[in-house]
Amino acid sequence: MTDSADGADRDLLAHALLPVAHENDARRTALALEPYRPERVTTLHVVEKGDGVPDKTPVEQSEEMAEAAYAAVRRVFPDADDHTAYARDILEAVFEAAEEVGASAIVYCSREGNRITRFLSKDLSIGLVTEADLPVIALPSPGSDG
Amino acid sequence: MSDEELAKDLGLVSAMTIGIGTMIGAGIFVLPGVAANAAGPIVVVSFVVGGVIAMVNALSISELGTAMPKAGGGYYYINRSLGPMFGSIAGMGDWMGLAFASAFYCIGFGQYLAVFVGLPAVGFLNPIQIGALLAGLVFVGVNYIGAKETGGVQTVIVFVLLSILTVFAVAGFFSFDYATLAGEGGLTPFGAGAILPGTALVFVSFLGYAKIATVAEELKDPGRNLPIAIIGSVAIVTVVYAILVTTMLGVIPWPELSQDAPVAQAAAAAFPSSIGPIGGVAAAAAAVMTVGALLATASSANASILASARINFAMGRDRIVTNWLNEIHPNFATPYRSILVTGGLIVVFIAFLGRDIEVLAKAASVLHLIVYALMNAALIVFREADTPAYDPDFTVPLYPVTPVLGAVLSLGLVAFMDGIEIALSAAFVIAAVVWYFAYARNKTDQQGVLSEYVRSRGDTLPDQVVGAADAVAPTGTDGPTIMVAVANPRTESALITLAGAVAKHKGGRVLATHIVTVPDQTSLATAAEHKAELDTSSERLLSDAKSDAEAFGVPIETRTILSHRGVTEVFDAARSHDADTVVMGYGGTQFAGGRAEGTIEELTHELPCDFLVLDGGSLDLSDVLVPTAGGPSSDLSAEVARALGDTIGVDVSLLHVVAPGGEDAGRTFLREWADGHQLGDAELRVESGDVETVIGEFGPEYSLVVIGATERGLLSRIVRGSLAFSTINELETPVLLTERPSSRSLRERIFGRR
Repeated sequence: MTDSADGADRDLLAHALLPVAHENDARRTALALEPYRPERVTTLHVVEKGDGVPDKTPVEQSEEMAEAAYAAVRRVFPDADDHTAYARDILEAVFEAAEEVGASAIVYCSREGNRITRFLSKDLSIGLVTEADLPVIALPSPGSDG
Repeated sequence: MSDEELAKDLGLVSAMTIGIGTMIGAGIFVLPGVAANAAGPIVVVSFVVGGVIAMVNALSISELGTAMPKAGGGYYYINRSLGPMFGSIAGMGDWMGLAFASAFYCIGFGQYLAVFVGLPAVGFLNPIQIGALLAGLVFVGVNYIGAKETGGVQTVIVFVLLSILTVFAVAGFFSFDYATLAGEGGLTPFGAGAILPGTALVFVSFLGYAKIATVAEELKDPGRNLPIAIIGSVAIVTVVYAILVTTMLGVIPWPELSQDAPVAQAAAAAFPSSIGPIGGVAAAAAAVMTVGALLATASSANASILASARINFAMGRDRIVTNWLNEIHPNFATPYRSILVTGGLIVVFIAFLGRDIEVLAKAASVLHLIVYALMNAALIVFREADTPAYDPDFTVPLYPVTPVLGAVLSLGLVAFMDGIEIALSAAFVIAAVVWYFAYARNKTDQQGVLSEYVRSRGDTLPDQVVGAADAVAPTGTDGPTIMVAVANPRTESALITLAGAVAKHKGGRVLATHIVTVPDQTSLATAAEHKAELDTSSERLLSDAKSDAEAFGVPIETRTILSHRGVTEVFDAARSHDADTVVMGYGGTQFAGGRAEGTIEELTHELPCDFLVLDGGSLDLSDVLVPTAGGPSSDLSAEVARALGDTIGVDVSLLHVVAPGGEDAGRTFLREWADGHQLGDAELRVESGDVETVIGEFGPEYSLVVIGATERGLLSRIVRGSLAFSTINELETPVLLTERPSSRSLRERIFGRR
């Protein structure tokens, strides 16, 4: 990774990667990011694969969800790109995608829900901030449900 | 690698695991005792016959699965082939069949659990039912949260199971005694006639191979792996069952075989009580078997609950059930509603039918067998109708013998079930048909290959057949979505009137959207803070739209969309809501603003659907003028005029402008054009002169002028304000501009319409 080398003269939001789970999440994250005016935005949806076992949802349905999420981000950032990844390990897929699209930072909005829900749904916040080798920006949630 | 390939991560072993893991479950661990008691040692043959019936069906499913590797499996093939009425039956049959099977697995779990721990009886529930309910709740909970670890465990479970069963078979081989097997009454104490009723009872042990087809879209190289996995898992399971049941009956005389936990009992007898200094071997073996049984029934139930969500998804996609059911949980990313509904059914079945495990087992089998029979019929229809898109990698041997045999064997086996299971299943089939006519028929737009085949050959087939096909055909087919982009109260009523007329004419629905453009300088978050004021104005506007549309008697939905983009959002919304026609005001095209002009141009050059743009505030429709020179957009003008004529009763006049001297040819053209567009009743006017002058001259006599954009991109030029369209600017009369995408295939390519 060359991020550390030219990171200094790069704008943190030169190319924001938005990993989003679903349409609402996408809208919330995009709205939260909007005031900071990123130069370029790429939306990422990771389709969670069973990797050897059937998935929780049909692939077709996952892809429909991804499309809805991309559309929600484009509503705020009309020129946003999108990127779909398929992986069992979501965290790793996010980092791989960041490298692939050349993102300057990963931007996310922490998910709603109490501690138990977060645990059960494997909230990835901790993994994102501790394991990333590029800047990770946690945005405050823009009120309830944007 | 393409996305397509990345999405496929199930190899052959995984696929086989799904099949074997689902099949080896409560069936083999619970039923041998019950079945042997009813049929005697010959029950081994009952299992083998079940395997043969499953195998014939497995061949057909393999062909269908390689032709259409789609989520949903049997339901999907039947819906495509035999149409949505049979699709509804298949979907309901598959879904309820899985719920019954899951309830059966849970009871099996409860029976073995009761061996381990003492369970209380509560109310009208016996201890086994309590154990089953607990198990059911856990399985549903695990699927609700969607712990993906369960999947990995499944593979391990299957291998552990096969190992345990192999060890048991080896140990059993040494304690095997033919005299025990044959017993006192010989091999057929109840006669050979007991074989098929035995098969009817134990067939539930073979449900599972078809589940592989429900996840076919996730399979690597489905053309090869799907048939091998389906056929292979049936073959393996049949052999395993034959060996196991023979061993059990050779270890314990059939009348003494336990009705609740026969495998544990047989294991205890098969293993020596001690090997050398190690004591308690037999007891340990029985305990291991019990654990194995618990794992096996758990994995079967788990796989069935997952498969039922797939079927719900496929049904929702075809609008046979509401998509509400398939909503994904925001945190767990699971189809939680589908899982909860299925879970609820399982609980009900356990509580009210769980006392008699045979009823659950047989009801599951009957429903599945009905689906198998329909699947075989679906295969025959695909082959006979010679559908070009039907191109399976695997084809059944001995067509048409195999599918015919599959259907006959499946329905034949149903005949050996008891009245109560057949009645239960029949009730679900009838419910499915009622559901189809009461709900799904108006929603779904899938016409089966069969009905297309029959209806397209209306001349050569008997009237009754065609009539029957028409009677059950879906009516949702011709339901286009007319999207209206309402902007202000001044034009709302006029736009809704137009959309309502078109929707009513075509039997479609209206989608009224209020797109609130937020300037770039204002963030959407700030805009959302002013949401309250916005909401009231937006709400009023949309509720007006609603009452206007309802006056037409057409269904309407409403939406408020907050966006930085104005007109481009219309395109996006049209796209995401699958609109067939967009109705908007001329004023609406003006709010484009400076942003991303290139995008607008690009978008308007490739319209997502038909566009109707109205210049004029209010409409008082009595007569319309349609100037025409042919072309796709004037086809659209004709449709709109016809819609207005049919629904509001306006008089339609057609105008064709020719160069001086061309009146006769013009008259002929216009007459033909009118007839070709079912506007034979319209008044025809042929005038000579300059098009815009003529329109300007006659337009004011009418209450609306409908002009088709003869040039591609007309709309885009209006949007950018580069076209000074004098007719629009000068005419007092409202003008409706129509533009149809010039190439349908282009639109199909972009939006992937089926």
